[in-house]
Amino acid sequence: MEILKCGSAHTGSSPKRGCGLLGIARRAMRLLSLAVTLLIAGFLATRASAEPPRFSPVVPGVPLVFPQDFGAHPDFRNEWWYVTGWLETPDKKPLGFQITFFRVATEHNRANPSRFAPKQLIIAHAALSDPAVGKLLHDQKSAREGLGLAYTKEGDTDVKLDDWYMLREENGRYQTTIKARDFMLRFSLTPTQKPMLQDDGGFSHKGPLPEQASYYYSEPQLQVTGTVTHHDKEIAVNGIAWLDHEWSTAYLDPSAEGWDWVGANLDDGSSLMAFLIRGKDGRKVWAYAGIRDASGRFTRFEPDQVSFQPQRTWRSPHTDAVYPVEMRIQTGSTVWLLTPLQDDQELDSRQSTGAVYWEGAVRISRDGKPAGRGYFEMTGYVESLKL
Amino acid sequence: MAKLTHSGALSRWLLWGEWRAHRSQAVVAVIAIAIGVALGFAIHLINAAAFNEFSAAARSISGQSDLQVRGAQATFDESLFPVLAERDGVELANPVLELDVAIPGNRDENKGATLKILGLDIFRASIMTPDLIGIPAEDKLFDILADDAIFLSPAAMEWLDVKLGDPLQLRVGTQAITLRVAGGLTRARAGQRIGVMDIGAAQWRFQRIGQLSRIELKLVRGMGHAAFKAALEQELKLRGQFLVTEPADQETRVANMSRAYRVNLNMLAMVALFTGTFLVFSTQALSVVRRRHQFALLRVLGLTRRQLLGQILLEGGALGIVGSLLGLALGYVAAATALHVFGGDLGSGFFSGVKPSVHFDPVVATFLFFLGLSTTLLGSAAPAWEAATAKPAPALKSGSEDAALSKLATSWPALVCLVLAGVLTQLPPIFELPIFGYLAVVLLLIGGIALMPRLSALIFSAVFSAISKRTSRAMPLLALARLANAPNQASIALGGVLASFTLMVSMAIMVASFRVSVDDWLKHILPAQLYVKTATSGDTRGLTPGEKEALAALPGISRADFFRSSQLTLDPRRPSIALMARPIDAADPGNTLPITGEAIAPALLPKDAIPIWVSEAMVDLYGYTPGTRVTLPIATPSPVFVVAGVWRDYGRQFGAIQMRLADYQALSGDNKVNDAALWLQEGVTPEQAIASMKRLPFGDALEFSEPGEIYASSLNFFDRSFAVTYLLEMVAIVIGLLGVAASFSAQALARGKEFGMLRHIGATRRQILSMLAVEGGLVTVLGIVLGFALGGCISLILVFIVNPQSFHWTMELSLPWRGLLAVAFVLTASAALTALLSGRHAVSGNAIRAVREDW
Amino acid sequence: MLELRHIGKAYASGRRVLADLSYILDAGEYVAIMGESGVGKSTLLNLIAGLDAPDSGEVLIDGMAMSSLDDDAATRLRRKEFGFIFQAFHILPHLTLSQNVALPLLLNGIQAEEATERTEQMLFAVGLSGRGDHFSRQLSGGELQRVAIARALVHRPKLILADEPTGNLDPDTAHDILTLMRAEIKANGASGIIVTHSHAAAATADRVLVLTKDGLHPLNPESSAASRQSRWRS
Repeated sequence: MEILKCGSAHTGSSPKRGCGLLGIARRAMRLLSLAVTLLIAGFLATRASAEPPRFSPVVPGVPLVFPQDFGAHPDFRNEWWYVTGWLETPDKKPLGFQITFFRVATEHNRANPSRFAPKQLIIAHAALSDPAVGKLLHDQKSAREGLGLAYTKEGDTDVKLDDWYMLREENGRYQTTIKARDFMLRFSLTPTQKPMLQDDGGFSHKGPLPEQASYYYSEPQLQVTGTVTHHDKEIAVNGIAWLDHEWSTAYLDPSAEGWDWVGANLDDGSSLMAFLIRGKDGRKVWAYAGIRDASGRFTRFEPDQVSFQPQRTWRSPHTDAVYPVEMRIQTGSTVWLLTPLQDDQELDSRQSTGAVYWEGAVRISRDGKPAGRGYFEMTGYVESLKL
Repeated sequence: MAKLTHSGALSRWLLWGEWRAHRSQAVVAVIAIAIGVALGFAIHLINAAAFNEFSAAARSISGQSDLQVRGAQATFDESLFPVLAERDGVELANPVLELDVAIPGNRDENKGATLKILGLDIFRASIMTPDLIGIPAEDKLFDILADDAIFLSPAAMEWLDVKLGDPLQLRVGTQAITLRVAGGLTRARAGQRIGVMDIGAAQWRFQRIGQLSRIELKLVRGMGHAAFKAALEQELKLRGQFLVTEPADQETRVANMSRAYRVNLNMLAMVALFTGTFLVFSTQALSVVRRRHQFALLRVLGLTRRQLLGQILLEGGALGIVGSLLGLALGYVAAATALHVFGGDLGSGFFSGVKPSVHFDPVVATFLFFLGLSTTLLGSAAPAWEAATAKPAPALKSGSEDAALSKLATSWPALVCLVLAGVLTQLPPIFELPIFGYLAVVLLLIGGIALMPRLSALIFSAVFSAISKRTSRAMPLLALARLANAPNQASIALGGVLASFTLMVSMAIMVASFRVSVDDWLKHILPAQLYVKTATSGDTRGLTPGEKEALAALPGISRADFFRSSQLTLDPRRPSIALMARPIDAADPGNTLPITGEAIAPALLPKDAIPIWVSEAMVDLYGYTPGTRVTLPIATPSPVFVVAGVWRDYGRQFGAIQMRLADYQALSGDNKVNDAALWLQEGVTPEQAIASMKRLPFGDALEFSEPGEIYASSLNFFDRSFAVTYLLEMVAIVIGLLGVAASFSAQALARGKEFGMLRHIGATRRQILSMLAVEGGLVTVLGIVLGFALGGCISLILVFIVNPQSFHWTMELSLPWRGLLAVAFVLTASAALTALLSGRHAVSGNAIRAVREDW
Repeated sequence: MLELRHIGKAYASGRRVLADLSYILDAGEYVAIMGESGVGKSTLLNLIAGLDAPDSGEVLIDGMAMSSLDDDAATRLRRKEFGFIFQAFHILPHLTLSQNVALPLLLNGIQAEEATERTEQMLFAVGLSGRGDHFSRQLSGGELQRVAIARALVHRPKLILADEPTGNLDPDTAHDILTLMRAEIKANGASGIIVTHSHAAAATADRVLVLTKDGLHPLNPESSAASRQSRWRS
């Protein structure tokens, strides 16, 4: 359900931002950041240009074709590749990580022949969750596509933003390198299963209306090997990750306020993805869950079969927001319980782009028994950005 | 301690007693110092404010970059950008397309006013130049990337008279495009006229696809700038003509643009301060002379030499402190007012487009305070020394006043000054400033003034003996006798007049020479009957070859010369030079260019090099002497040119090169032209020609001017630039008159006994006053005559040394006789009047008391 | 107190005015020096005051040679030990009478309270009590010379030098001033030298000396006393 993660889609990044961007520039960048956020989410349809480009609609019944659909879909308004996962250090300490590349098509005139024309924006985001640090390390970057410096290629996964990139090799293995401000990630992600097409064969409903949808597949149970560099210390890690690739042009329901999403690799080889879109009045706008077991058997749950019940809350000392960091999820008759790797996995970028949400590594149990590890995201728990 | 207290009380008594009695003289001295300090401070504050604002504006445009890469020409190919962005050691590369764009219909359009537009990549610029990020309307956030949006600084909005959401027309070539004002640049500097838009949109809208103006680089932490720069320069050599500059270069470049102007203004202010110093000297000298008896008495009563010296210096110092403080306050207020009313460039045009505000500068204030104080102390030192070393017993007797000043009549220091001045005129500039020239001016002034006692004694004695044989009228004789026999006091009064008149004469001759030369030059460079510009300057203008042909083919036009002008950067620390390509007859370049000095005969021009003709500044700044072979970055590989001649250019002090249009087009492939000079067929009026050109499809984008208008507006601009020097001249004159007033009132007071005696023996009050007026007039006439001589010498220095060394242009000498004579007349009359008014006070006293009293 | 030893002095023009002049003035003695114009009376006073230096010979004050003092030392000696009274009163016009009188006290570093007190006493003694705030332009010539006497004595100098103190005054005023001067010199225990043309003035001194080209000669004391008598009677 990363479609709603656009809260994390920030623009404007610098390894050395410091406080230099305070003030007007920050405000401007926040506006743009929010604009990108809203655009991805589909809240907004600005007509900035006299001749707005037409984007492809998401329609049911279009089968996903690989490897083409591993690559970019520039005709759709927005798209992302989103990797989350658990790592283990040589001394058996757990770490969580997250790497995201967003592509956003703007309404910039398609006739502009300039190689600088901002027709597509690339936004990347990375975070490292280390209980030893006690909070999330994160960084983000953004650029216009072009001049070979930033791109999302068609045909297969090949995305790049300056010195951040993610590339899918022909054998299906992903290579990614992220040189963030405070840390560096360099991973190989090797699939152990086929892609998991969400919802209706990859056509994922996002709301009650038919056009509120996206194309969505996941690559769960990815074997991770690589290195994490932090404080100039490179350590070898391995672990398990989850990749989502989703693209759409759609509108999100205007009554939505935020969302809770979880993707989990279960120890028995099965995979769980569930999300809840919360309405402004606190009611459920939409919900979904899909489980695929190790043998490939896929079970889909309708909105009324999925429920999220907060178990324990945590008040952020940074923002005062209260997050239900322990969540009970019911899919059909199965009860899942999410427990965070650490409470403070809040991503607070008010000093730069202004977005605040919680996204972190969680342990998951099924009907009271430990079942695996996943990533949990909660947005919309802090008041809307004040502009 | 006790002793200190009491001598302190004594000092105070003497000080207050003196000032109570001679308030007006103290006030005059204070005013003189205050004016000098105020001028210096005001000019510094205005210049500093304008300069700082100008560089801050320039800096805000270049942001926090460590290095900048730019081409020798205005733009270069963007393919360099990804190379630099991905280069090791580069943390961030920020591409910039900077354009000066003409605004159709803007009220300042024909003044060549353009809007600076920066095309930026917000994702990179938000880090490099955060002040330049536009703020879109809240419901149109994506305007920041839109292809038709422009964000304007508040000053630009005001200047263009547009607000959020308004369309804005801009000139591209002969066409106009319309952008939408999508928001503001609230962090732009006050008065900074600037627009920002997306770089992709800018490339497209302004037909600059694939082009960048510069790339700003931020290096990774710890990367050595110098090593990186050297390596990069080496690497860039293979890619063409690039310059790698540091922000300091930019500062230097901005500083270089206005340095000569600023230094010259400061020098003028210093001359005013110098005149003020002289006034303090004369006030103090006369006051000391007047109180010679008192000081002698104090010495007899037991005041030591040092105490007396200290007392007089204390008096001078007190005047200096009060005057300097007053001057600082006055200067600050004047600067604030001038900046508010006239803006920062005082009409010179060096600092247009910014709105500076005045900031108190404690360092310079302290400097000027001590300068004011020390000049006052210096002015007091000589009289104080004389008073302290005088023998008290004879000094108690009257009649020794002029003797006290006789040391002033020693003429060898004056002659040394004059000789030294002559030597200094032969020295070259240092730091590209005519420092020695100014020193020579100061030495000439000092020497000239110091020679006055001797000269005035000689001259007045001669006149006295000549006149006394012929007339028996008492009063003129008395006046002359005094001037002849007490020449030292006379020459002190003379000094003020001389200093200010000398200053005025020299400035007037310099300005007149400059103006006449500009006048001649304008006539030479404007031979055609009609001039056509593609709407204003700016980077975006130009006629295509087709448009050019259409223009030349119009009926009624007998000849059309087309021009292409562009900017070249040869040295990153210097402002760009102008490159102008036009038809030039290599056989007779003087026909088109105001050739000056030597040139290579056409027959002797080498065949393997392309001839160029350079302005005088190119010779001074870049060493482009005739015959020099040079390369210019207008094509890759750089072709070889030879300097074929030097022409005079008053338009571009940073240098300009002219070459044949055909050569330029063949080398650069740039077929556009900017301007045209048109000759009309007989019987065709300029109006008819303009009307037919306006009917061309691109006629709206053309601007027409007749030579007369260009001529008039150029001279108008010239006069505006020199307005501030006229003001300074006025101030110098006022200070000079103050000097006359101060010295005559002091003398009149000192001569109370003399006047009392004259009244006793039957001179009427009117007669005494007329004697004073005659004295004042005569002193002034001599001051003026000598001022002419001295000012003439100084004007030679200004015309032939200071100007060429400061602005790199030469000029012919011409003398504004009529104006100078008028000023001389007014000055004489006002000096006589001043002397008379100053004397009235003394004459009005009681004659009997005046005789009886010992002082 | 004061000893002149073989003093010789010529003007800058070369004219010799004093030659081999010797004299000893005892403490508390008040002498008058008379002589023709140009004979060198004022020059002699200047030499005594250290304002000028003799071409030959020595001026000794309390046994100390003036020539051994530099200008500053001579000035300090002058300010402490000498009082001056001039023909042209030399009262600073921009200072009040009190300030004028207090000048020597200030120059000698006397505390302010004491200076004020002594100035007032002195003004009282010369009959100008209560006029300390006045300026010189408000005073008559006699009054100005009273101020000068007060100034000459206020710092209790050892030697008063008076150069034609009554030259600018009418006879009655002159008489008052001379009487006052003598009284005050005696009251303060000072020595005094008065240079004058006036026999009447000279008669107020203890001794009268005549300066000629040949040196200082005493005038017949009887004639001095007689003239004093006759002066008093007239």
